[in-house]
Amino acid sequence: MRKIHRELLWACAFVLTAALLLGLAARALRPVRSSYGATWAAYLAEPKDSLDYLYLGSSYAYCDVDPACVYAESGLSGYVMAGPGQTLSQTYWYLREALKTQTPRLVLLEATALHFEKYEAYSQINVGYMPAGLNKLGAIFTAAEPELRLGLLFDLYFYHSRWSEVTLGEVLRALRGAEPDPLRGFTPVTGTADVSAGGQDRAPQSDAVYQENLADLLRIAGLCAESDISLAVVFHPTYSQLPPATRQAVQADLQEKAPEVAFYDWSEDGKRMGLDPARHYYDPGHLNRDGAEVFSHWLGSFLTAQAGDAAA
Amino acid sequence: MYFLSLRFFLFFPLVVLGYFLLPRRGRSIWLLLASWFFYLCAGPACFAYLLFVLLVSYAGARGLSRCARGRRLLLAGMLVLLFGILFFLKYLNFSLSLLRRLTEALDLPLAVPGLELLLPVGISFYLFTAAGYLIDVYRGRAPEKNFIDFALFLSFFPCLLSGPIGRAGQLIPQFREAHAFDYDRFRAGLLRFLWGAFKKLVIADRLRILVNTVYAAPSDFGRLQVIAAALAFSIQIYCDFSAYSDMALGTAETMGFTLTENFRTPYFSSSVAAFWRRWHISLSNWFRDYLYIPLGGSRRSTGRTYLNVLLVFAVSGLWHGAALSFVAWGLLNGLYQVLEDVGARALHRGGRELREPGRAVVLWQTLRTFLLITVAWVFFKAGSFTHALEIFRAMAAGPWLRRPVSAWGLGRRELAVAAVAVALLFGVDLCSLKEGLRGRLLARSRPVRWLLWLGLLLSVLIFGVYGPGYDAQDFMYFGF
Repeated sequence: MRKIHRELLWACAFVLTAALLLGLAARALRPVRSSYGATWAAYLAEPKDSLDYLYLGSSYAYCDVDPACVYAESGLSGYVMAGPGQTLSQTYWYLREALKTQTPRLVLLEATALHFEKYEAYSQINVGYMPAGLNKLGAIFTAAEPELRLGLLFDLYFYHSRWSEVTLGEVLRALRGAEPDPLRGFTPVTGTADVSAGGQDRAPQSDAVYQENLADLLRIAGLCAESDISLAVVFHPTYSQLPPATRQAVQADLQEKAPEVAFYDWSEDGKRMGLDPARHYYDPGHLNRDGAEVFSHWLGSFLTAQAGDAAA
Repeated sequence: MYFLSLRFFLFFPLVVLGYFLLPRRGRSIWLLLASWFFYLCAGPACFAYLLFVLLVSYAGARGLSRCARGRRLLLAGMLVLLFGILFFLKYLNFSLSLLRRLTEALDLPLAVPGLELLLPVGISFYLFTAAGYLIDVYRGRAPEKNFIDFALFLSFFPCLLSGPIGRAGQLIPQFREAHAFDYDRFRAGLLRFLWGAFKKLVIADRLRILVNTVYAAPSDFGRLQVIAAALAFSIQIYCDFSAYSDMALGTAETMGFTLTENFRTPYFSSSVAAFWRRWHISLSNWFRDYLYIPLGGSRRSTGRTYLNVLLVFAVSGLWHGAALSFVAWGLLNGLYQVLEDVGARALHRGGRELREPGRAVVLWQTLRTFLLITVAWVFFKAGSFTHALEIFRAMAAGPWLRRPVSAWGLGRRELAVAAVAVALLFGVDLCSLKEGLRGRLLARSRPVRWLLWLGLLLSVLIFGVYGPGYDAQDFMYFGF
């Protein structure tokens, strides 16, 4: 009996060693992610409870909002926790994970994702790079395509074949601990598209898809309420906007189902903010670096004013 | 469900756990249900075929044992029914295409339709198992009365999809034994499974990229490259099929079952006849016992013996695939053996075969056998006669090297890994010529064992060809 127990312990030790080595191999082979949205490793390297606000959303958030400019204008420290084509179901799990190390007073959510498809083909990045844990598991099973689950659970499934191309430098970089991101999730894009002629309206999704996304947004609102965090849902000043009627419907739905959530539709306020459609856009949907600077300064003063109003 | 799929990795531990936790009486039922679930994953239509074959062969065997007269007729009826199913599903389209070609050649064009028929995975294997069992009963073996054990014999999941083709006398008694959990056998089984995964994912599937690239356009490559691809295919098919057998045997071994060894280092054979005694042994034995011997085997005239060999290998070729190139592959293998025998008889007349061949001679014979088998594999891989001839032309004419190594579809690092893995395979096969290689490895000290396990596991998971887009069901022999 004693021998069985001993062998069982050794077997457990073997499984743990194997898991450790496989985890290490997966980390070494997975490409280091350093742009196009926030990276979790950098976020987790932020000092605990050091953020005043979190900015959530998709590329509409991480291209447009520069936390450094917001800070310069308002003194508020923030982080953009957004990934490409990030759906609201993914954002919900992002927020849960993000709140493990930070206690922001405000969460801003760029909500174009209300009219995203159920999956936007970026789950491998958005979910795959989340820190291991229950929130990642939740995201894998509720916010990612079922056919990606194996790879999301087991990184080597996606990345093992990189052994034939990876360099030693890349491996070392992947194995090194992360440092805070000086841009705090902001991904500046350079290049200019003249959108003064106007852009195209973004096509709304079917009502069924919208209702599912709205349900996810309400879960986010519920999580914020539980954590005593103010939530603001916003639309950015872009030229690939949802039609006015759709935005009004969103506002009406939020007022009805989550009246505590603030709603700001800045879709048509670009010129008022100082954005020049000939110079400040990377494409109709995203601000370029200069545009993000203008918008973020405006956002900083807006948040200051809001904070002042709230204090008053 | 396939061995290298997530579903199997969830299924298998549950089956093993259930098997050892259940009382002895419930184990066969548990294994049968598990095996049926395993096969049901291929679809209910496939399962219906299995069930039909099972019922027919169970009832047929009982009938054979009971009736005193007309047994031969009953057996023939059963075999016609079983092989009729196989013919209908696997060979009808092939026969119709032959008919179409014939009528076209005779200038009598006939509208012969191509039928879309479902070919249940593994059907050739379990039909052969059932047919062998019926012949055994006809020859005097007592039929199995216990339906559960019989059903398990035909459906046992480790060997259901690609063999080894089981024999009732070997398997059914094992289902009645009480297998206590044996840690050493469990580990040995897992190690064998892992080694199978290594052969399949690291070697076979990597070489497949190279082989497919060259075979797709042989005239674009130099002759050395086409020859290298043909040699690579010999290794690929060995690793692919023997990997499946390793996984099947390993899976069964974890639960205490011993299945027929299907491969015994066949490329170390010094003659083609020896090769076929060491390659896909369960099928070779099946053909020997149920076709070659009933045809008269080697007990008749020399000419008749040669005819029997050619016939058996032509049928074996046809079993592998419904195409003339497979028949050519089978016939070529038969012809090799006929020529070997003619040569041996000539030597015998000269009294030279009595001398023990030296090492160099054995090495030469082994190399010659490998090359002959490789030539035959070209027909097997090509898929058609015309394509096979195109490949042979590319081997015989043109420049030696035409395109850079990178055009093979594998980078330098990939080629290096393939070379190291093949060298490892060679070493392991060489060591396994002595019995009990796994036993010897598992008896080593713990650090050595851990190094072995971890090295193999990491090699499979890092250097293996799998991931998005990989087709887990793509074992070559699933197609047969």
